[in-house]
Amino acid sequence: MWNLGVGALWRAAYLRTVRSSFATVPLYRERWALDGREDPVVVKGRTGSTGGALPAEEAVRKLVDLVPLAGGAATSEPCRGLGRVLRIARPVAAGDVVVVLDPRLPRPPAYLPPGVRGCVLDPDSPPDTALSALVNTLRGNGTVVAVGQDKTVAAFAATLPDELVRQVAAVPHRELDSLDNGPFGVLHDPLLGYLGAFGECGRWHLDWTRVYARSTSAGLVFTLLRQHSPRLVDVVVAGGVRGTVEPCPRHGTPVVLT
Amino acid sequence: MKFEILDPRTDPEPAGWARFRAKARLHPVWGYELMRLEAWLARNPPVLVTATADGAIVAAMSVLVCRPRLSPRFAPLPGRPLLRPFWAEVYQPWLSGYPGVAFSPDVPAGDRRELLRRFERHLRFRLGPGLLGVLYRALGEEFAALAAGPGRLIKAVDTTAILENTFTTEEDWIASLDVNRRSSMRRHTRKLRDDPTLVVRGGPGRTDLDIVTITHLVNHHRTRFGKAKLDTRTPPAPAYFESFVRRPDVHTLTYHDDQGTLLGVNTMLDHPDSPALQHWAALTPEEGGRRQIYFDSYLRGVRYMTQRGAKELSAGRGMGELKLNLGFRPRQLHVAVVPRPVLGR
Repeated sequence: MWNLGVGALWRAAYLRTVRSSFATVPLYRERWALDGREDPVVVKGRTGSTGGALPAEEAVRKLVDLVPLAGGAATSEPCRGLGRVLRIARPVAAGDVVVVLDPRLPRPPAYLPPGVRGCVLDPDSPPDTALSALVNTLRGNGTVVAVGQDKTVAAFAATLPDELVRQVAAVPHRELDSLDNGPFGVLHDPLLGYLGAFGECGRWHLDWTRVYARSTSAGLVFTLLRQHSPRLVDVVVAGGVRGTVEPCPRHGTPVVLT
Repeated sequence: MKFEILDPRTDPEPAGWARFRAKARLHPVWGYELMRLEAWLARNPPVLVTATADGAIVAAMSVLVCRPRLSPRFAPLPGRPLLRPFWAEVYQPWLSGYPGVAFSPDVPAGDRRELLRRFERHLRFRLGPGLLGVLYRALGEEFAALAAGPGRLIKAVDTTAILENTFTTEEDWIASLDVNRRSSMRRHTRKLRDDPTLVVRGGPGRTDLDIVTITHLVNHHRTRFGKAKLDTRTPPAPAYFESFVRRPDVHTLTYHDDQGTLLGVNTMLDHPDSPALQHWAALTPEEGGRRQIYFDSYLRGVRYMTQRGAKELSAGRGMGELKLNLGFRPRQLHVAVVPRPVLGR
């Protein structure tokens, strides 16, 4: 697949995003015009100190400057991309319920596969109505997919009747600096959302139709290819983790190696 | 006489520019480094056009090259040919109430009209066939008369507020206001003085500021009042502000609460004759701001003017009625539209 030009299309989508961001997004205009960037260089002779990488903390602080001149949202979406990465991490079917266990999230996940519902819960004190709906789903032989940090998933399981706990499918969050060997997991960043998932091949696959990754001197940086605003390009996640992006020998799509 | 068009993004500062700025008594926004930052971060970047005689710059124009676009974008990189129609605006984008053209005092008044025509001919020649015409913004009476001529449209559009310095202290100024305004100014002053939660700091060349917060407050304030029709400027960026407030000839006044929240900011361009109150931005009372700080910024501006012995204090455009009430006088501003066929004629 990668040898059939898909890699070139992926790269072309990234170059389009870079060009468009330089032309319309104030923060990238400022950084890349005055300091510079690499791969690609947009102003001749200016390559920047870290190849154009943008630390996540700075992106959060200057979120309004990541809105293109034409306008758009200035809030991040931490649940972005969950539906896509679940297909890799743990396929869900119509009737399943996806529970994101993080009370800080403002909105439940959107764009889940058809027929799949999603909600956000505080694992320590889930509302009774939500809990009873989840118990009913489990008793009806439905599946509840619990997505969150290991300890929040454990806390959530503790609130369920013992006989139903086995039916909960846990999909733990992993940040770039704590990738493990599965068997399940989704690569998550609080600013960029879900970036990839642990695949059946035992590698961390990127959601490559929506996410681009490259290696810089500041570590691996990620770009959201389809998010108009706030525009997130070459964001350093987890404080900067060294790694590479290579095609998966089995699937031919990009995987992250740290 | 030699004319030159400089793109501040790529061209070095012209020789003698600092000397010309001092001689023509230009405000700090004419600084070449600020023009360079503005040009990189603008949709319609300024170019600097200079006229040089006997090795010295005698006149200069700040010209915004404006491209009509359906969706807003920053300017193309330098060196790209201008293929589509565009127009040029003679304008200094962050200097309210002053034109984008300046002459050295050595240029006799009688020669200025012809010099302006030569500038236009040079623009037509250098910017190419896509140039539709030139628009002069914020022209005072004197410059409007220079730009007038057959086939040119001159229109009075707005006023800028000027306070002539006939005072020795700010108390004189307060005493000159009408009774209601005088008592409200004193009430505001008392209220701010007695507010232990308010931290007011001001001065030139400040390096202690959170530039991102200031930029966001200024742009938030501008967004709240809406974008003016045909405004070709781009919201100022943090990099511009960083360089701007660090200049020794730019004074920045900030109001914080005791939690460190920025409530208001005011910048003032220093000038021997006419200091100019420039950016003003503040949180609304609903957002936690204080109404009185707006008036306090004028009080401090007038204090600076009297201490410096300047001729006048400029407060720019907008809020005309309120500024009138504060003793400012309106000064008429004009725009001049010069279509291509009459450029240089």
